[in-house]
Amino acid sequence: MFKLLDGPQTLGRGRTFWSCFLAVLAAALIYPAFADSYDVGNFSYFLIWVFMALGLCLMWGYGGMLSFGQTFFFGISGYAYGVLAINMGGGSTTIAALVLSVIIAMIAAGILGYFMIWGGISGIFFGIVTLSATLVLAFFLGQTAGPEWHIGTARLNGFNGMKGMDPLTVGDFYIEGSALYYVMVALIVVVYIALRMLVNSRIGNVIVATRENPQRAEMLGYDVRKYQLFTFIIGSGLAGLSGALYTSWGQFITPSSIGLPAAAMPIVWVAFSGRSDLTATLVGSFLLLFGFQTITVYSQQAALVLMGTLLLATVMLAPQGFVLGVGKLVVDRWTGRRRRGANPALAESSRLQSDEA
Amino acid sequence: MSAELFSVFYQFADVFAFLILSAAGLAIVFGMMGVINMAHGEFIMCGAYVTVGLVKLGVPLAIAQALAAVTAGLIGVAVEYLIVRRLYKRPLDSLLATWGLSLIVTQSMLLIVGSSITGIGTPEGSFAIGGYTFSTYRLVLFACAVAVLIGLYVTFMKTRFGVMARATMQNAAMAKALGARTGRIYAISFGIGAGLAGLCGALYAPTMTLIPTMGATFVVESFVTVVVGGANVLLGTAPAAVFLAMIRMALNASYGQIIGQIGMLFAVILIIRVLPEGLSSVLVRRGR
Amino acid sequence: MALVDVKSVTKRFGGLTAVSDVDLTVNTGEVHCLIGPNGAGKSTLFKLIVGLYPPTKGSIFFDSVDITQERPFARVQRGMSIKMQAPSVFKELPVRQNIQIALQERFSGAERDLEEERLLTMLDLASESSKLAGALSHGQQQWLEIGMALALQPQLLLLDEPTAGMSPEETFKTGELIKSFNAEGMTVLVVEHDMAFVRQIAQRVTVLHLGKIFARGSLETIIQDENVAEIYLGKTHAH
Repeated sequence: MFKLLDGPQTLGRGRTFWSCFLAVLAAALIYPAFADSYDVGNFSYFLIWVFMALGLCLMWGYGGMLSFGQTFFFGISGYAYGVLAINMGGGSTTIAALVLSVIIAMIAAGILGYFMIWGGISGIFFGIVTLSATLVLAFFLGQTAGPEWHIGTARLNGFNGMKGMDPLTVGDFYIEGSALYYVMVALIVVVYIALRMLVNSRIGNVIVATRENPQRAEMLGYDVRKYQLFTFIIGSGLAGLSGALYTSWGQFITPSSIGLPAAAMPIVWVAFSGRSDLTATLVGSFLLLFGFQTITVYSQQAALVLMGTLLLATVMLAPQGFVLGVGKLVVDRWTGRRRRGANPALAESSRLQSDEA
Repeated sequence: MSAELFSVFYQFADVFAFLILSAAGLAIVFGMMGVINMAHGEFIMCGAYVTVGLVKLGVPLAIAQALAAVTAGLIGVAVEYLIVRRLYKRPLDSLLATWGLSLIVTQSMLLIVGSSITGIGTPEGSFAIGGYTFSTYRLVLFACAVAVLIGLYVTFMKTRFGVMARATMQNAAMAKALGARTGRIYAISFGIGAGLAGLCGALYAPTMTLIPTMGATFVVESFVTVVVGGANVLLGTAPAAVFLAMIRMALNASYGQIIGQIGMLFAVILIIRVLPEGLSSVLVRRGR
Repeated sequence: MALVDVKSVTKRFGGLTAVSDVDLTVNTGEVHCLIGPNGAGKSTLFKLIVGLYPPTKGSIFFDSVDITQERPFARVQRGMSIKMQAPSVFKELPVRQNIQIALQERFSGAERDLEEERLLTMLDLASESSKLAGALSHGQQQWLEIGMALALQPQLLLLDEPTAGMSPEETFKTGELIKSFNAEGMTVLVVEHDMAFVRQIAQRVTVLHLGKIFARGSLETIIQDENVAEIYLGKTHAH
C-alpha cells in the first residue's frame, strides 16, 4: 500500500513530503473555523474544478492522451445531474443523481473513446476530435431554448441554462457551506490518493509505458487499447464528477461551461502546473483558479487573456510546467543540501526523485 | 424537376463552400507542417473585421475582402516567425501555443471593441428558377471555394514554390539538403493558411453577425474536414468536403442545422474508426 | 515438432511484393537464423510473424494454432517474445522500471524483485538501474531490450538483428546468452546478416532472397552452399 503511494510515478515522496501533505490537509480542515462563510463557499468552488484537472493530468501527463473534451464530460454529467435531480424529486436521491451522472459521463467516454482508440487516432487528432465533440454539444445545448426541449420535467433552456435542481441533500439537510467544503476536501483527498496508487500500480506502469512507446508496450503482451480506454474513462469520469458537483453547487448549468473558452481552461491549468505529476497539477490548478477568480471579479475577459498568456508562456518557456519546475527546484535545493558530500553521481541520478524515505 | 435538382445542388454547394473555405487554411498548415493552428478561427475573425471596417470606410466589398485576406496572411507570417517557428519539432506544443494566442486575441477583442459591431448586410441579388429563389452571393461563395481549390492545386503542383513545398512536406531534412529554404517555405505556407482563413472570414462577413468569438462557428467544420481529409491537402480535403457536405445537406434538409452538425460529427467518429488516417490515405493507396 | 509454421505467405505493399509465397518452419528447441542480403524480405517476414501487419495471402501457425489474424499482444500472450530491429525501450523511464514493466505479468512480490536483480546483473545494467533508459548507450539499450524480451520467459524468442550497433565483444556475449537460453529449452528465431554471429549461434538456417526462400538447411550445408555465398558476395561487392 505504501509502496503504491510512494512509487516511482509520482514526485514528492518520503517523510518530508508527507509531513507537508498532512500539514496542508490540517490547515484545510481548520480553515472554515477562521474564515467567513463566503470565502469557504469560494474555496469549495475552486475545489470543484480540481477533479477535472487531475483527470486530464492522468490522461495527458501519464497516458499521453491530450483530451480537449474535459468540458464535454463535465457538461454531460452536469446536465445529467440536473435532469436526474429534477426528475427524481430531490432530497436524498440527489446523491444517486450525482453517482449516476458520473456513470453517464463515463459511459459517454467509453463510447467516444472506443471509436477513437480502436480507430488508432492519437496525438493532435485525439485533441481535435474531442474538441469538436465538445463544441457541437455546446452549440446543441445553446439552441434548446424552446419549450419542446425538455427531459421529463427538466427544461434545457438553451443559453440561459438549466436551473431549479436541488443541491446535494441528505434527508432534509442541504450539503452547503462548510459541510460542502468538507465533502469536497474529503473527495479531493480520496481521488488524489487513489490516483497516486493507480499510477504507481501495475496498471500505471502500463499506462506510462503506452505513453512512451505503444508498440513496445504491445510487444510485451499488453493490449494497449484497453489501457488507453480505461485511462480515458477514468480521466473523463473525473471531469464528470466536477460537472455534477458544479451543477449541485450553483443549482444551474449553462452551455457556456462547455464550449469555448471554458474548454481551454483545464488545458491551461494542467499545462501550467506540470502535466507529468499529480501533485503539481493539484497545487497549480488550485492556484490558477484562485487567481482567475480574483481577476474575474474585475473583468472576466482580462482573466481569460491572462490564462491565454500563461498557456503561451508555459509552452514557450517551460514546456514541462511552471509549478513542476519550481517544485523540482525546491527539491533540488533541499536534497542538494542534505547530500552534500555524498556521491555526486548518485545525487544526479536521483535528481528527479527525491527518494529520501 | 430541373428546378428541384438545382435546389439540391444549391444546398450542396452552400455547405461545400462553407467546409472548403473554413478548412483550406487549416489543412494547408497541417499538411505542410503537421501543426494544427488553433488560432485559425481568429484569423477568420480578423478577415471578417477588416472587411467590414474597410467597407464602412467606403472601400468596395471585393477589394476590402482581398485586402482582408492579405492582412490575415501577413499577420500569419508574423505569428509563424514569433511563435510557431520555435515549436516545429513539437506539434502538440504549437497547438497549445496557438490556442493560448486564440484566447488572448478573442478576449482582448471583447475588451477593446465590445461584443458585436453592426454588419454590412449580404449583397443583394437573387434569381429564381421554377418556384425557388436563390441568393447570388451564395453561388459566389461556391465559386470562390472552387477557385481556392484550383488555386491551391496550381500553386502546389505547377510553381517552383509548390515543388519545394511538397518536397519539404515529404522530407524536410532532405529538401533542406537539396537547397530548399525550408524556414521560408514554412513561413509562406503558414501565411497562405492564415490568408485563406482571412479570406473565409472576409467572404462570410456580409452574411453573419460579427462578434470576436465568431471563429468558433467555423472551427468544428474545419476540424472535421481536416480529420476526414487526412494529411494530404491536395488529395484529401476536397473529397472530405464533398462527403461531409452530402451528409450535412441531407440532414440539414430533414432535421435542421444542429442535427446536421451532430450527424456530421457522428459520421466523422465512425469514419476515424475505419480510416484513422483519413480519406487521403485511401486515395494515395489506390493511386499506387 | 513445428513451433512456428508459416504457410505460403505473401505480402504485397501496393505493387511491391516484399514476401512471396514463403514457407518457414521453426522447430521447438532450435536456434533458427533467417538470413539474406538487404531487401530480401527478412524484416517483412519477421513483422508478419510478429503480427505488425497481416499477410496478403497465406497463414501463420504458432503451436498449431492459427494466429494469422491475431494482434501482436495476443501472440505475445501465447508465448512469443519480440525484439525489434531498432532499440525500442521506454526512454523516459528508468532502466529498472523498463524491466519491471516486462516482468510484472509473469512475477509478483519477492519473486519479481529477485528476477529483476537477476536480469539486471545478467545484462550488466545493475549499476545503471536508476538511469533513464534513453541515457544508455546504443549497445546497452539493445541489451536492455533483449532483457525485457527474456523477462517474459517466452517459448519462442524472436530477434530482429539483435547485435546491430554492438561491438564484437558485445556481439559475442549476446550469442553466448542466446545459446544459454536455448540450452534451457527456449526456441529462438533470429533475423541476421552478420555471418560470424550466425555461425556462432545457428543450428538451422533459412536464406531469403528477393522475397523468396532461396535455401534452407543445417548451418553446415548453408555455409558450404556456393549459390548462397554468391548472393552474399555479390551484395558485398556492390557495397
